[in-house]
Amino acid sequence: MSAATVYYLSGLAILFGINLIAIWGLDLHFGLAGINSFAFIIFQAIGAYVTAVLSLAAPQAGSFESYILGTSWPWPVALLCGALAGAVLAVPVGLIAVRRLRGDYQAMAMLVLALIANSLIGAETGWFNGPSGVEGIPAPFGNLNVSLYSYHWVFLALTAVCCLVAWWIARGISRAPLGRALRAVRDSDSAVAALGRDPNTLRMTALLAGGFLGGLSGGLLVEYVSAWSPASWLYGETFLFFTAVIVGGRGNLAGAALGTLIVPIGIVEVTRQLPQFGYPGEFDSFQWIAIGALLLAFLWFRPNGLIPERRRIFRPPSERPGGLLASRPRIRRAQSP
Amino acid sequence: MSIILFGAYSAALLAIGAVGFTMQFGVTNVLNLAYGGILTTSIFVEYYVTGHSTNLWLAMLVGAAAGAVVSFIVGFVIVGAFLRRGAGGFSIAMVTIGLGLMIQFTLEAIQGPFIYAYTSSNTTTAISISGVRLSSEQITAIGVAVAVMVVIHIVLRMTKLGLWMRATADDASLTRSCGVSPARTRAFAWLVSGAMCGICGVFLGIGVGTFSSTTGGDFFITAAAAAVIGGVGKPYGAMIGALMVGIVSQGSAAIISPAYAAISAWVILVAVLMLRPQGIFSEFASERELVA
Repeated sequence: MSAATVYYLSGLAILFGINLIAIWGLDLHFGLAGINSFAFIIFQAIGAYVTAVLSLAAPQAGSFESYILGTSWPWPVALLCGALAGAVLAVPVGLIAVRRLRGDYQAMAMLVLALIANSLIGAETGWFNGPSGVEGIPAPFGNLNVSLYSYHWVFLALTAVCCLVAWWIARGISRAPLGRALRAVRDSDSAVAALGRDPNTLRMTALLAGGFLGGLSGGLLVEYVSAWSPASWLYGETFLFFTAVIVGGRGNLAGAALGTLIVPIGIVEVTRQLPQFGYPGEFDSFQWIAIGALLLAFLWFRPNGLIPERRRIFRPPSERPGGLLASRPRIRRAQSP
Repeated sequence: MSIILFGAYSAALLAIGAVGFTMQFGVTNVLNLAYGGILTTSIFVEYYVTGHSTNLWLAMLVGAAAGAVVSFIVGFVIVGAFLRRGAGGFSIAMVTIGLGLMIQFTLEAIQGPFIYAYTSSNTTTAISISGVRLSSEQITAIGVAVAVMVVIHIVLRMTKLGLWMRATADDASLTRSCGVSPARTRAFAWLVSGAMCGICGVFLGIGVGTFSSTTGGDFFITAAAAAVIGGVGKPYGAMIGALMVGIVSQGSAAIISPAYAAISAWVILVAVLMLRPQGIFSEFASERELVA
């Protein structure tokens, strides 16, 4: 392989990792806890903005830029703060859209929250430099004296470490008793309430953890692409993530990873290698149409995705194989569509 | 005064859009997030068919027909097929968002991300009401909105179809057991909703003067705000909701900055969803539904 191909593939791997963290976060919201998180992109956006302004230093005198904070903290601290900002943002989002609203109303509230956040940040030029956004975010390990090619490997390693952290969080929650409780909330929150757990507390926990992953992904993304503006996080991006979760299979980490490989990487990034045509952006329109068609096809033919969630069978200790009551009918949890 | 007059004008647009949206939601129980895409489609179709003529009535007719056709295909044909296959509420919301984005980007692929402008407004005559100048198109929009509301009222109250639609919105299974075809009622709801969407689109296109493939999506959320404030599925509530949203958004545009016209409407929407998801006027509206 030529050096350029390797460079391109390592770039794809970085983008895959960054998207994967976000999609695992969304899967915690939607796949595990059943929250219609149509505002997911704002978690990624706040992570990106906070990481950016914490590492950018104050705007230079006489420049037309204006943004809050403007410290030049080292990048790991900024990245961590970005991820924490995503988690903190989950509190107001949860209070507004998760505590009382369900179904269509929740979806609508989330959608509108994402629109409000985007327009507000575009309108208030003093917060994050309005519609033009922030740019020139210093790269992690920027003082390493290496070539552009080798630097990609450095960033890929950083992405891999972040993915590992995300995997540890998402898998930990999914396998813990908390994960079981969250699946129960998704399938029947009144049953959970009847068993003495508070469904809203459980949902808020999932929202916080997913928000943290969203923020982490945003911080990492802004350190990779070094610019962020309201045009980077329109609500269509959330739809892209949702398509990835549905195509791959909700409620399991492997499904989300496969969905990430197919939708944001396969359809959005790889096809950019095809010859472009028409006016600038015409190609993107066709990509969006293809994504919409793929989503409809999956909802029609394979609503549980390529890797459906494993059917979980609950057996009390006394009913385990070899136990006293092994021949009793098992209690099965219905597969949710 | 200017806030009230311009508020009334934007309320007129919102009312047509919001009543169409809320009627369909009430009857079919489908949250149609493709409504914005239908709105934009009818603006473009109308622009191409009659864009260079100044006949507003012809434009309305073409817009309404385009909206009704697209709405029927999206709602009755495609969403209906998914419903028959047993898709749940969330899948349906995803289907309508997906269709909305596909419509938007199909338009963009055909038209480009350009901003289109009506050229026929050179005949505009301005009318001055206590110092505030409204164009004749704006006055017509208010008049048409009032007329459409009256027609909707008559259809809902005095025709069989209106009775069926109200009954289906109230209790679909009971209505079916009374021998009313639910499919026909739903089809009619999608058609009426699309036609109102188309009329709204024509006035939106002419009123703003410029439009692009994203025009409908932005306006739709504001219209949805009006519908939710009035209580989803309640046409009369949506009319009052539209008036409130229109005045508040024009007021905040004048007082804070134009960017806040939409933001304030959306904030009201979120606040209403949080505090009173059944809508501010729900008792009022449902009482009227019961009396009739």
